[in-house]
Amino acid sequence: MEYDEKSRYIELNMGPQHPSTHGVLRLRLTLDGETVKKVEPIIGYLHRNAEKICELDFYCDALIYFDRMDYVGAMNMEVGYLEAAEKLLNIEPPERVKWIRVIMAELNRIASHLVWAGAFGLDLGMLTPFFYVFEEREKILNLFTEICGSRQETNYMSIGGVYQDFNDKIIFRIREFLDEFPKKLEEVYNLFIKNDIFISRTKDIGILEPEIALSYGVTGPMLRASGIPYDVRKDEPYLVYDRVNFTVPISKKKDVLARFIVRFEEMRQSVKIVKQALDKLPDGPFFNPKAKKSLMIRLRGEGDVYARTESTKGEFGVYMVGDGSVKPYRVHVRSPAFKNLSVLPYLSKDVLIADMVAISGSIDLVFGEVDR
Amino acid sequence: MNLLTRIALILGFLGHYPAYILAYIIETLIVLIFAVVVVAGMVYFFRKYMARVQMRIGPNRVGKYGVLQVMADGLKLIQKESIMPQGRDDLPYKVAPLIIFIALIMGFVFIPYGPLAWLGTLTVTHSDVSLVIMFALIAIMPIGELLSGIVSNNKYAVLGSLRGVAKDISFEVPMMLSVLAIVMMASATKGISPLDLNGIVQAQNIPFAILEPLGFFVFLISMAARASYSPFDMGESDSELVTGNTTEYSGLRFGMFYLGLFGTIFLGSMILSTMYLGGYNGPFVDDLGFIWLLIKTMVIVVISLTIWLSMPRVRIDKFVTFGWKYLLPISFINLILTGFLVLGGIS
Amino acid sequence: MIEVKEVEEPRRIPIIGSIGGMYTVFKHLFKKPVTVQYPEEKENQGDRFRFRIYLSTDDCVGCTLCEQVCPNLTITMVSLDKENPRNKRKIYPAVNFGTCTVCRNCEEICPTDAIYLKDVFETSRTKNSFFYSPTELEKNEDEVRR
Repeated sequence: MEYDEKSRYIELNMGPQHPSTHGVLRLRLTLDGETVKKVEPIIGYLHRNAEKICELDFYCDALIYFDRMDYVGAMNMEVGYLEAAEKLLNIEPPERVKWIRVIMAELNRIASHLVWAGAFGLDLGMLTPFFYVFEEREKILNLFTEICGSRQETNYMSIGGVYQDFNDKIIFRIREFLDEFPKKLEEVYNLFIKNDIFISRTKDIGILEPEIALSYGVTGPMLRASGIPYDVRKDEPYLVYDRVNFTVPISKKKDVLARFIVRFEEMRQSVKIVKQALDKLPDGPFFNPKAKKSLMIRLRGEGDVYARTESTKGEFGVYMVGDGSVKPYRVHVRSPAFKNLSVLPYLSKDVLIADMVAISGSIDLVFGEVDR
Repeated sequence: MNLLTRIALILGFLGHYPAYILAYIIETLIVLIFAVVVVAGMVYFFRKYMARVQMRIGPNRVGKYGVLQVMADGLKLIQKESIMPQGRDDLPYKVAPLIIFIALIMGFVFIPYGPLAWLGTLTVTHSDVSLVIMFALIAIMPIGELLSGIVSNNKYAVLGSLRGVAKDISFEVPMMLSVLAIVMMASATKGISPLDLNGIVQAQNIPFAILEPLGFFVFLISMAARASYSPFDMGESDSELVTGNTTEYSGLRFGMFYLGLFGTIFLGSMILSTMYLGGYNGPFVDDLGFIWLLIKTMVIVVISLTIWLSMPRVRIDKFVTFGWKYLLPISFINLILTGFLVLGGIS
Repeated sequence: MIEVKEVEEPRRIPIIGSIGGMYTVFKHLFKKPVTVQYPEEKENQGDRFRFRIYLSTDDCVGCTLCEQVCPNLTITMVSLDKENPRNKRKIYPAVNFGTCTVCRNCEEICPTDAIYLKDVFETSRTKNSFFYSPTELEKNEDEVRR
């Protein structure tokens, strides 16, 4: 019988409707039995043309499209856009606004990492921790409702300010949350990390060498888990990150477990940051009058800027060109999840399907951001 | 006095033979109803337990506390159109869920239920080899899983079936070795037949779980793997293979697989409590034997469900390694220890 | 200098750790459920929660700023026959709630505070259109449904 190279492998299509693909990722797998020989991610099922839509509207309107990019960590997207837009439009936010933005971004970073942990647990077959982390996330979202008026796509920040100010009740409630949260976090952390099966599923799986990570443009917790201490909050501080005290967690283990541990340590650091920011929160106005009321559609910018921020997934860059009109000429987004996804085919060569699922879960994919 | 004679006595006005024939039929019906009710109750219990553990409420709309939810779901599944894949092998595709379901229901016949109040012993069948029949029935179930995966013309299903086979061969040998230890233990007691589950229960003055903790551990893991819930649900791992071998099933056939899963958990827990925890033995055994069996079973069920809800899935190659490299030696050690126990005359 | 902390995998005892996880899960059995049974009980939404757009046609001057600032063409100006000395062109905003993202830019930009949002969020309808005319925007939700 003639040996046929083609019939040796199974072609398997995973997604876009599949329980483990976090939205609409489609993977074309080439399998040799259970072993994955080749992975080809196919993206674009959630493409909404956000970058182009931003060019069609005023500077203040683009914000809602950024909310919907990384919808799990919307605050970080808003911070990223406003860093660029405020630089382009020459509008300096007041001091209080900067601190408020740090608080909101870090709270949302906690929420985003919690969702990741829950979804990662589901990928591995753990049903219950998902609900525990969502309970905690729900508390953060309730805080957001209190502060911003909506839960997820908040549109809280605006150019040169925020939608509404913090008051004593809100600060009290955030403090209350922060006091209880670390205990719950440790409980969930132990639920995962003390489990033998969890360790056996994640340890030494999906090893990402630092050189490879750099050459693929991987950033964020993925890169830090590979041992490179790169964090935009430290390397090129924006807002007031140079005035708060926190450490950058790294791990030299480079595997899926390292990414898990790094993300949980980041949550602890975020708690630290929020506590400091609440202590240091200065008084003052919560908006810049140059971009308030009907002035907000008369903002004009000229030139080009690139601003980078540390979103929950990694380095989030926004490149904007203004041509002197009330609308941006070009908005380009460097989305970290997209760059991180590009390393998946490298990582899941010659691993089992189960490992491939664990690796793709450890990347923290949010498809609003990958497809934009 | 057992259930059959009790019914026959009640029907005594019909004459001797008609009363017994009718009693047999009624007893069969009772067992069938018991099996189905227990399996449905298991589904309800699982949903409620899972919900409460996850800080949800669970089913609470249909009936008081949602007790009729399972019935409503069953009705829905019966009414639903059964969508069948193209290119299937028709007969095995339709037979596969039946194999699992029938084997499961038949398994309930051979359990020694023990006495309950004035009804006498509820045990249905007395067979000298009920242990062998029970494990034969348990060994039939994988055939259904295997068939369903292979014939439904779906790559996920085939992968799920292959995993199921790999899983089955790696836990069944240790399982049978630990059963062998039980038989050795029981045969040391005079005057009972060691292959009869009833005899095994009677032999347990001390529950075998205390005498053979290793065997208990092996058998617990084997029953978890047999029912194939997390951490041993590689065959139908929902985040990898959609639902593995049952991917292409819908409607009533899917319902059979679903009930099969929960029924196997309950049946496995019942076998476990019969063989290792002393079955219906307990204080006031003549009146409350059946209740003791149920209590022991429910404890095992709760433990199983907690394992299910708190553990991630084992990777298939790790499980095969675990089965052959750890479970098998453990069950051999258990066998040797049991040999010493039997020779020492402890049981 | 970046402050770096190398995180390590915590120590754990095999099997005992897993049983500890099982205990943690089991412990939650005795906690109160956190879910809200929606139609019967409703969660407190907070003071700043906004959803439904209201319009006061007496105050509206027809400046079309809300239409301009609306990011996704949710607000369109329609003409309405109503005597209003300040609104000579007789155009008023109409809202399609099917596309509204609750960005609150219209509320922010309105020079006369004619357009404002409230915390009513039960705006489901049986007809297949979420288009609210200016007169409907003035009314409450149950009046509109009638």
